Amino acid sequence: MTEMGALLEADQLLVGYGGAPVCGAVSVSVQAGEILGVVGVNGAGKSTVVQTIAGRQPALGGEARISGIAVDRDAVHFRRQVAAVFDDDLFFPSLSVAEHLLLVARGHSLEYPEESVRAELDFFGLTDRAAAVPDALSSGQRRRLLLAAGFIRPASLLILDEPEQRLDPVMRDSLAERITAHAAAGGAAVLVTHDPSLLVRTATSCLLIKDEVELVTADQGAAYIAGI
Amino acid sequence: MRESDNGVRHGAVRAGTGSTLSRDIVAFTRRNSRSYNRARTSFGEVFADIYTSVLAFGCLAAIAVSFVLAMRDEVAGQDPTQGGLLPGNSFQLPSSVLWALLTYAALTGILTVSRRLGPIAVTGAQGTWWLPLPLDRTPMVRPTFLRRMIWVGVGSVLGYFAFSLVTALNLSATGHALAAGTFGAASVGVLGIAAMLQLSVRNPRSLRALSALVLVPLALLPGFAPDPWAFALALLAAVGMVVVVFRRAGQVRGSELIRGGAVSGHAGASVFFLDTNELMRSLAGEPRPMAANRAAALYAMPARSPHLGLVKADVAAFLRLQPPLTVPALWLVACLALMLADVGLSVPVQLAFVVIAGCVVASGMGTVARRTALLPELDAMLPLSPAQVRASRMLMPAVALGLWMTVLSGAVVLLGRGGLPLILVGALAGVGMGAGTVRGASRPAADWTVPPVDTPFGPVPRTQLSALLRGLDVTIAAMLPLLLALYIGQATTLILLMQAVVTGVVILVVLYSRPTAAGQR
Repeated sequence: MTEMGALLEADQLLVGYGGAPVCGAVSVSVQAGEILGVVGVNGAGKSTVVQTIAGRQPALGGEARISGIAVDRDAVHFRRQVAAVFDDDLFFPSLSVAEHLLLVARGHSLEYPEESVRAELDFFGLTDRAAAVPDALSSGQRRRLLLAAGFIRPASLLILDEPEQRLDPVMRDSLAERITAHAAAGGAAVLVTHDPSLLVRTATSCLLIKDEVELVTADQGAAYIAGI
Repeated sequence: MRESDNGVRHGAVRAGTGSTLSRDIVAFTRRNSRSYNRARTSFGEVFADIYTSVLAFGCLAAIAVSFVLAMRDEVAGQDPTQGGLLPGNSFQLPSSVLWALLTYAALTGILTVSRRLGPIAVTGAQGTWWLPLPLDRTPMVRPTFLRRMIWVGVGSVLGYFAFSLVTALNLSATGHALAAGTFGAASVGVLGIAAMLQLSVRNPRSLRALSALVLVPLALLPGFAPDPWAFALALLAAVGMVVVVFRRAGQVRGSELIRGGAVSGHAGASVFFLDTNELMRSLAGEPRPMAANRAAALYAMPARSPHLGLVKADVAAFLRLQPPLTVPALWLVACLALMLADVGLSVPVQLAFVVIAGCVVASGMGTVARRTALLPELDAMLPLSPAQVRASRMLMPAVALGLWMTVLSGAVVLLGRGGLPLILVGALAGVGMGAGTVRGASRPAADWTVPPVDTPFGPVPRTQLSALLRGLDVTIAAMLPLLLALYIGQATTLILLMQAVVTGVVILVVLYSRPTAAGQR
């Protein structure tokens, strides 16, 4: 079942490894302005679901579409539409924090890349570390750099896999505002999280990943995470 | 380059579109990385690096040249119809056929390894930061592919020049150069074939079979030296492949680029640290889906004891993870071809080749042992002694190598050498080699911080050699009685007894050896 104007549609999407599904089939639709939370216990398959939606691994069955076009990480259209932030701790060892962001800003043809970089450095509290190489950063700062790279570029769909990891509470609050602002500006987001507070503050609906995947409200998802 | 307060170097990347912007992004990354590295590298460090590299290269070149010239003299001084492990054998393989077969094997090796390494690939950082950009990927992947082509081309030319010096005694210097150039061009063409395989989404069996077929004429071309048309043909094929691949390099799927880069990085680090186990792990590839359910019935059967349970698990893992039999079969054929060829290689050289083949095949049988060596804690959780665990792990390599050596020695017997007991000697040697496989799998990383030990022959890096040769020592020791039988051409009762004792001893050594310094078994 597809809906007109949906940024993300998944229809009986089956994900897993070596031909074996890790959870039930996912069917969901995310419109512009919506934020879909994804929750579940460890090993339930949350990251596998978003990795498949992000085109990082093939689906076992069903299909996922971004703006009506099948997921293909190699298509320029897909790369332009989707920004995905996973826990990839991979950086150019000799490029500074600012240069990493400038690379992304220029690669997406931003009109004022230097200014955008400065703004992101400021938002993510990295201005003082702008000239540092990634090896000189703490793990939390490297996480901030990855998030900054995800937010600096234009994207209709933002995919975030546990973005709260290694962030302090203040940064988590700022992140929640930023995600909400992205949706308010006409984008959509898929947010995998173990943080009930972040989920309730941002998500408009929530996928509960288990043997039978359920679409629930953000409050129900938060209660599930909290074990209530 | 002007740098602002926040570390952004202005003007480093020009605005542009498509390929132009992609090229700018690549240039920006390279330029800034280079300037960062240069700012932190002193002249003294650069000088020391260059000095040690030149010195090491000079030493290697001197060793290689003297080895090649010695081999050339060895071949030149031998009567092709006399000597060897199978003297007076009625069936003789023409040397030209043997050299063509070896050339084909070399090209197949280049195709296989380059396919594992990509050959079109990106590093982890490039995969994370470049590939998601909505730009043409061609400028991002071409430079690495070009560098690989140059390295493969130059390496192949040098390698084949040495090979030609030994195998084509009647050729002039120009002839050797043309033969080497032909092989170098053919190698670059093979790299292009590997890239074409990478471009096909599914990489079907028929396409791989076609590639294997295309290698046949390429392997024959160097044999036509000094005729320049063979060189011209190989060059034409290489240029054609390169042009096609260069045009389509940006179409390789991102996941494939990242996979190739990950394998390349893993293999490169293994070579840097001289860690053959890691190298084998890096090049092992994914388990074949068709092997995923092998021995399922055996594994499902109830085990009467923990030891039998482990044996079942090791047997199932071996059958599922072991690479195809192609490599052991090729080494077997190569050993027999070398023995049968009318080349005139002396017995010691032929025996040395059998030892090398045995060590390579034995090393290839250690997939399960190498994987489990990464997590010794898992075995420690079992209610079994380390010796029982090693015995279980040794079982399948011992059976497989016993079979391999039985076929090799059986073929020698069929060709009229050694007598029937040689087959038993071979089988026993194979069992001992299986023990060497398990010992080699837990080889510790060489500690290069330990200084060499002074000996009457000069300083010897004893600790490092001991680490590097762990496993090979037992494998070669297990083969010694067999080699003696091949040397004298007869497997006497004494040799059979000696083989049984040596095999027994090496098994006991492996079963009861103490853990290594690295904490591994």
